[in-house]
Amino acid sequence: MQLHGWEAILFYALAIMTLFMAVFVVTARVAVHSALFLISTLVNVALLFILLRAEFVAGVQILVYVGGVMVLFLFVIMLVQTRAEEEARVRLYTGQTWPAVIIALLLAVAFYFAMNPAQSAFRPAEVAAATATQAPPETGERVQAGAGQNISRDTQTVGHALYTDAALPFEVASLLLLVAMIGAVLLARGTKQEKYYE
Amino acid sequence: MNSLLMGALAYAAPLLLQAQQQQSALKRFEPTLINFLMLSFLLFVVGVAGVLSRRNIIIIFMSIELILNAVNLNLIAFSRYLQLNEQSLNAQFQASGVTVNPLAGPVFTVFIIVVAAAEAAVGLGIVIAMFRNRETVAIDEIDMLKW
Repeated sequence: MQLHGWEAILFYALAIMTLFMAVFVVTARVAVHSALFLISTLVNVALLFILLRAEFVAGVQILVYVGGVMVLFLFVIMLVQTRAEEEARVRLYTGQTWPAVIIALLLAVAFYFAMNPAQSAFRPAEVAAATATQAPPETGERVQAGAGQNISRDTQTVGHALYTDAALPFEVASLLLLVAMIGAVLLARGTKQEKYYE
Repeated sequence: MNSLLMGALAYAAPLLLQAQQQQSALKRFEPTLINFLMLSFLLFVVGVAGVLSRRNIIIIFMSIELILNAVNLNLIAFSRYLQLNEQSLNAQFQASGVTVNPLAGPVFTVFIIVVAAAEAAVGLGIVIAMFRNRETVAIDEIDMLKW
């Protein structure tokens, strides 16, 4: 797997945007700003999914995360928001900043030692790179539906796998969503509604 | 006309050659699987730092979403890698009877997104119930279980 030309430039642009937005999510003072930065991060990750030819997952990411989960987050922020944070009267961080930094550094060291031996294996050989420039393998798995059409088969294959190989987890996931929905309603209803139903 | 073209070619040839050399020098920086893994790892670390250091419980939830997204990116990058190298990897692992399945990545990612949505719904319901009882979303003030 090696991206060439514009795809490489696009990868670096999206990667930098994603990381900056992620840092802003963590450091923003107002929770609504944090949510908006998180939406930007999620859209950037969806674009990276498209770069990796996973169009179905990118669509699901936009629909479910940006369209569903983030709206939920924004509603809860509006319900829960105290004005104190915006007026800079409260601490933003717990006293655990140094443990957080140390754990992040330990993770970085672990990642380095895990990835360093594998790095050469993932990098394509010179011969492979030379052939790749002549005939890019990216076009290999894309179906030529007709003259001039270049439609990705990703959605079809993933959907087929979801309904055949992963049919049981699929049904379990629907049950999980039902349980989560009922649980959220039960948790969030107030004493007034409880009296009403009793 | 012809000589003009030849002259232009003669002038352009070293430039083209130079451009090609520069391209091969730039090839080092073309993103491969390892770059995607690095990006996903950095996203993960940012999420972990947010979970450990922030005080607002809603922002902690958002950091958890960041972590889950890092994992999704990892899965999709590996899936793409397997997709492009399916034949060679299958040939390599033929003796041990292992076959490569590039579709596992997207399928797992869809399930992770489903679980993340369910987790966000229940978690935010708990946040609302907690805010109704304690009038706060700061995690170091929610300490009823600390005794």
